[in-house]
This record gives sequence, structure tokens and C-alpha cells, in this order.
Amino acid sequence: MTATLDRIVRPEVNYSVETGHRKIGLGIGLVALMIAMVVAGLGIYAASLVGSAGDEETLGQVLAVAFGFNTTALVLLKTAIAVILVGILVRIWIRVESVKTSLDVLKPHVEVADFKTGDVETEFGAATVSAKAPARLPIHKMANTMWGPMLVMGVVSVFAGLFVSWIWAGNVGTSTGLDAAAWTQGLQFLGEGFVLASISFLLASILSGLREGGGEVQEALGLPVKTLKMPNTAKAFVVLMMMGLMIEIVQFGLYIYITTFNDVARYALWSSWLGPFRELGLGLLLAGIILALATIAKALEFQFSRIRDIVVTGN
Amino acid sequence: MTTATYEFNTQTSAKALDANVPQKAGRTLWAPAFAMSLMGFAGGMILAIVKATAIADGDAVLATSLDNYGIAAMFFGFMMVFTGISFAIARILGEFRVGGGQTQEAAGSEVKTLKMPATAKAFIGLMAMAMMILMGAVIGHVVVGIQINAETLSLVNAEQWDIWLETARRLAVQLYLFAITLGLATIIYVIRYQSIRIREIAEET
Repeated sequence: MTATLDRIVRPEVNYSVETGHRKIGLGIGLVALMIAMVVAGLGIYAASLVGSAGDEETLGQVLAVAFGFNTTALVLLKTAIAVILVGILVRIWIRVESVKTSLDVLKPHVEVADFKTGDVETEFGAATVSAKAPARLPIHKMANTMWGPMLVMGVVSVFAGLFVSWIWAGNVGTSTGLDAAAWTQGLQFLGEGFVLASISFLLASILSGLREGGGEVQEALGLPVKTLKMPNTAKAFVVLMMMGLMIEIVQFGLYIYITTFNDVARYALWSSWLGPFRELGLGLLLAGIILALATIAKALEFQFSRIRDIVVTGN
Repeated sequence: MTTATYEFNTQTSAKALDANVPQKAGRTLWAPAFAMSLMGFAGGMILAIVKATAIADGDAVLATSLDNYGIAAMFFGFMMVFTGISFAIARILGEFRVGGGQTQEAAGSEVKTLKMPATAKAFIGLMAMAMMILMGAVIGHVVVGIQINAETLSLVNAEQWDIWLETARRLAVQLYLFAITLGLATIIYVIRYQSIRIREIAEET
């Protein structure tokens, strides 16, 4: 599977072509925004029904449908982001080829100075010097393999939740409706968690691409391979992502658990904190994404500095 | 023969350009936004637990009031997390701008820097719009919570406000996500330009 996914992000295309990911991603995003407008309309309609005698059931139905569509719009937007991230990965590998070809011409043709392998300190943090490009880290192997399945599982869960939301809408005020409400929320937020995990894995794959690509360029030019060690932001990113995903899996289990309650008051009590709990999970996943992006920025800063060194000194 | 970079809208200079204002802001502010997001999430979760206790005690007014404070805290966290992501994307774009310029300068070439693409402008505009809507919703929840606690707002009106504010929150989150999509799409555009530009410089040498 890793090989298949690697082929998706390293296609053999001309370096100047537009790969289409940008247009597809933005297209999916626009469709999601249209659904978002429908959700906003449903919200305004639902608010107008509050307090109207005899409209309680309609209000419940509108809210259930709006919840389902809202989460669907959210997952479509995240899918759009995932498509664009795949496009960035593709571009990173095309960039590797461009830099490799160009640096060979741009660098001064001097003897490669003797160098010591091992750990060094740079202005961007700890790095290693080696003769060969470093092997893929286990976390990067996992990321390169898992982003695809996570994305599929996430989208499937959210759409399954959307169908269940229609059962919820058709049974407002009954025990079947309560069960369907719990399933909808559990499934859709599990799906959201999977899609955010997929985005996190794609960001880790981008970091992996920068690391491997940078090593590949330096090795091809016969230069000492300088690679940035994993920064603390990257370690914290992995921790936050795992915590967030665990919370989403646990909330799903707990939503299934509350469907076994016969006591509506107990059901309402559990629901009152399960909502914020599932949002906490998404929040932690998103916080991890900030750290992943900050790590990408740092890796780029290091790479540009290394490219400049090679252009100026040939070493 | 390389594809010339003339299909891109660039500005030419002798020296590498510095990061622009949004990119500098991104570099400075992503970390505070990250820290504030974690505080918001923690606060939201604590208030949810307190609210559950109020529900168990049968205090509906306090529970509804705490519900609004909890949502305000949680969505303050979301506002900060999406802002942090946007700032981190701006920082990445800044690294490409500065690093790409310095590489061209080091190669002894004239420095061609991309002008801000339409996707980047839309990214900033939508992010600001989303932030204002979400900030409004967060403030709205606090005001509603205070009014419920002071018993100047009926529970029916509180429910109506809850639905309006939820609609605003949802729209804001969706706008934020679309803004982020635009920011990431700008990165694809920038990398494509740089891949072409570096080959162009090598050919000129």
C-alpha cells in the first residue's frame, strides 16, 4: 500500500504542469460552502420555530437535518484540504527534481571538503551529518501509509452519520430518535476525527518528503547530507494527534453506550458533557496541526539555508 | 528549454525581499494562538463538567447559563486554533518568499518574487471574516449566559439565541476551513513557481 500511495505523490509528470489538485480541492471546498449556506438557512428557520406551539416536532426535525448537513459540509472542507495537501506533496517531489538538476549547475565545482558524520548544532536546531540520505523514520512510514485509509474511513463514517440523522429527524421525541441522535453524533465526530488524522498524516508525509527529498538532493550531488533532527514541535504534534484521535474513538464508544440507557434524564446528563468532549478531541487534533505546520516552516528554513550554502560554497 | 516564469505575476529586485506583513505576523503569532487555543479547550471542558453537575442537581438556570459560557470558551479555543493554523500557513509562505529570494540572490541572479496571488488575498479576507463572526458568537454566548443567570432572559428566548449563535458558529468554522484551503492552495502555486524559477536560473548561468 505504501508503494501505491508513494506513486500517487511521486507521479512522473513535467515539472511545469499544473497537477490539478488545487482546482479539485477548491472545487470540493466550494460545494461544501454551498451546503454550509443551506445549513445557515436551516438554522435561521429553526430559530423562528422556537416557542411556536405545535412546531416542536418540526423544530427537532430541522435541527437534526441541519446537524447532519453541517458535519457533511465540514468533512467535505477537510477532504478539500486533504486533496490540496496531496498536491503539495506532489509539488515537493517535483521541486526535489528541479533543485537536484539546478544545483548541479549552480554550485561552484570545488572539491568536497572532508567532513565528520554525526550530530551537529545549527542555528535551526540539532541536525545530523551523514554520507547517505537518511532512511524514512517509522512515524513517516506510518504517515505515508495511513493518510489514505484514514481519509476513506472518515468520509464513510460521516456519510453513514448523515443517513442516520435522517432516521433521527423522522423519530424526534421517541427512543428510536434518541438512539439515532447518539449514533449520528458518535459516527460523524468519529469521521471528523479520522479525516483530521488523515490531514495530520499528510502533514507528516510532507515533513517526510522534505527530509527524504533534502537528503536525496545532497547525496546526488556527492555532498555531506545534513538533516534536521525531529524538532520538539514535531514530537508534541504526534502526542496531540494521538490524544485527539483517542478521544474521538472513546466518544464514539460512549455514544453507543448511552443508547443502552432507559432513563432519559441520565441520557441527557451524559450528552451534556459528551458534546464538549468530542469537540475537545477535534480541538487537540487541530492544535497538533498548528505544530505540524510550524515544523514544516522550520524544515523549509533549514533547507533554504542549506541550498544557499551549496550555491555559495559548493559544500 | 524551461517554461518561462512570465506566466506568473512577479516583481523583480536586486536583493531578496523580506517577508510581508501577514507573513511576519504569522511568524510571531502562531505560538500565542496555539497556547490560547489549548486554554480555551481546557476551559470549555471544565465548564461542561460543572454544567453536568448543575444538571444532576436539577438547577436548569445555572446549567443553561454554564452551557453558554462553556460553548464560548470552547469556540474561543476553535477561533484561536484556526487562527494559529492560518498564521502557520502564512509563516510557511514567508519562508518560501524569503528563502526563494535569498537563493536567487546567492546564485547571482536578479530576484523575481511572486506578487501576492488572488488565493492568498482571499485567504486573508475570509480568515478575518470568519474570525469576526466567531468572535461575535463567542461574545454573544457570554452575554446570553449572563442574562440567563440574572434571569432577564427567558429559557425560550435563550433557546432561540442558542440556535442563532450556533448557526453563526457553524458558518464561521466553515469559512475558516475554506480560508485554510485557499492558503494551502497558495503554497502549491508558490512551489510550482519556484520549481520553474530555479531551473530558469540554472539555464541562464
